[in-house]
Amino acid sequence: MPKDTFSTISQILEQKFHTPVILIKHETALSDLGLDSLTLMEFVFAVEDSFGLRIPEEKLDPRQVGITLINLCSVIDEIQENSASAH
Amino acid sequence: MKSASQVEIAGYGFISPIGSDVTEFDHSIFDHHSATQIENINIPGQDPFSVALARCTLNTENYPTPSKLFADRATALALASVDQAIKNSHINFSDIEPERLGVYWGSGMAGASSFDETTRTIYNEKKRIRPTSVISSMPSTPASEIALKLKAQGACITYANACASSGIAIGEGMKAIRCGDVDIAIVGGSESMLTPGLLAAWNALRVMAPIKNNQLGNLTPFSKTRSGFAMGEGAAAFILINSHTLKRLSDKNDSRLFLSGYACNSDGHHITNPNPISQARVIKMALKNAGLDPGSIGYINAHGTGTQLGDASEAKAISEVFTNSMPWVGSTKALHGHLLGASGAMEMIACIRALLLNLLPTNSIEADIDSTLGLKVVNHKNIAVPHLTHAMSNSFAFGGTNACLIISKNDI
Repeated sequence: MPKDTFSTISQILEQKFHTPVILIKHETALSDLGLDSLTLMEFVFAVEDSFGLRIPEEKLDPRQVGITLINLCSVIDEIQENSASAH
Repeated sequence: MKSASQVEIAGYGFISPIGSDVTEFDHSIFDHHSATQIENINIPGQDPFSVALARCTLNTENYPTPSKLFADRATALALASVDQAIKNSHINFSDIEPERLGVYWGSGMAGASSFDETTRTIYNEKKRIRPTSVISSMPSTPASEIALKLKAQGACITYANACASSGIAIGEGMKAIRCGDVDIAIVGGSESMLTPGLLAAWNALRVMAPIKNNQLGNLTPFSKTRSGFAMGEGAAAFILINSHTLKRLSDKNDSRLFLSGYACNSDGHHITNPNPISQARVIKMALKNAGLDPGSIGYINAHGTGTQLGDASEAKAISEVFTNSMPWVGSTKALHGHLLGASGAMEMIACIRALLLNLLPTNSIEADIDSTLGLKVVNHKNIAVPHLTHAMSNSFAFGGTNACLIISKNDI
């Protein structure tokens, strides 16, 4: 996984959502970030805008229990790779 | 004399274009330093225009909110002013029963800046909009975020009555304490409408001071050549509390300030033209509410927008009420700009500073006052008033809503 993906996500969480750094780990579940359904929606929106892509709901529903930050990174990397090979 | 039912002002805080602490604020109002500046606005499809503005320096980008959602600038300014007021009060808010704590907040159009940004994103940038755009654009969000922050479970009400909004919010908070609905009220107001689209809308209305050849018209209220106002932004918050609750919650708070009178009425006359008859009536009602004679008032921080029509109407109203005992009159709007829905709250800060220092800020340094108005305007220099006890703040709004507050001081 490109290191940049996680660091970009970390920055968004820290700067826009004031998430404590201690919570921002690979294995932290999205549901454990202290974000409610509205803020999770804004978080995914900010991530999508930052990477210039859309995450289809079937790939990742942020409300689903157990999805971790590293899972989110993998989904982003996969979408980016597919997009690069399509071009 | 303190009475048991007295509504005390246990703390206050503000974010203003002329500073966010009392040292800066005092320096501006008593040394007469204005924060207004000219800005040029260019929006495709609109005629280019220049406006006089007074901005706060606080950076509110990514401002932390209790909801963790994006904060409209009026919400961020509100939260910052409440933080200061709480600190100033020395009250431990965790000792308060949540159901006895209410929020009464005023704003003409809180959220409008965010809505302007949303429409710009849709129609100009042609990009998708944030999922919670509605929430950041709601006029009630500043009050809701304040309530969330303090876990307040009493009433949480937003008053949107244009330029009288925060005057009304402060007065209604006082009434809620007096009638026993709550023990503590967080009151005040916030406003920020300095985005291009909103400025274009205000400019189209032609009420702001004109700018010709990069020269700003005269902003001085009650002056001969007055020509309108500069648009300001900011927030001011107050902790209102009944005396026995204050005594229970804090032994450090030695508040000498209390809110003694409030009234609100409507012109029922015209959507924008002021009505001196209703304005005089609301002043009389506030005096009656405070149990004071006109002669008790030592200073009026007038609504004083500096428009020809508005100042003339207010002067007529003041002259009618204070026939035998004209108090000193002034306005601080030329310094911090017109804060619209937050103007009553910010001007209550000016009244408090005057009361605590026994000093009235000059209305202008060099402008000639319009003598036809018949007012006793604080002019050319500040005026020391020993034992200043009662100050009045007027807020007269578009829509014909008028509010009048009386702020008082216990002499020790």
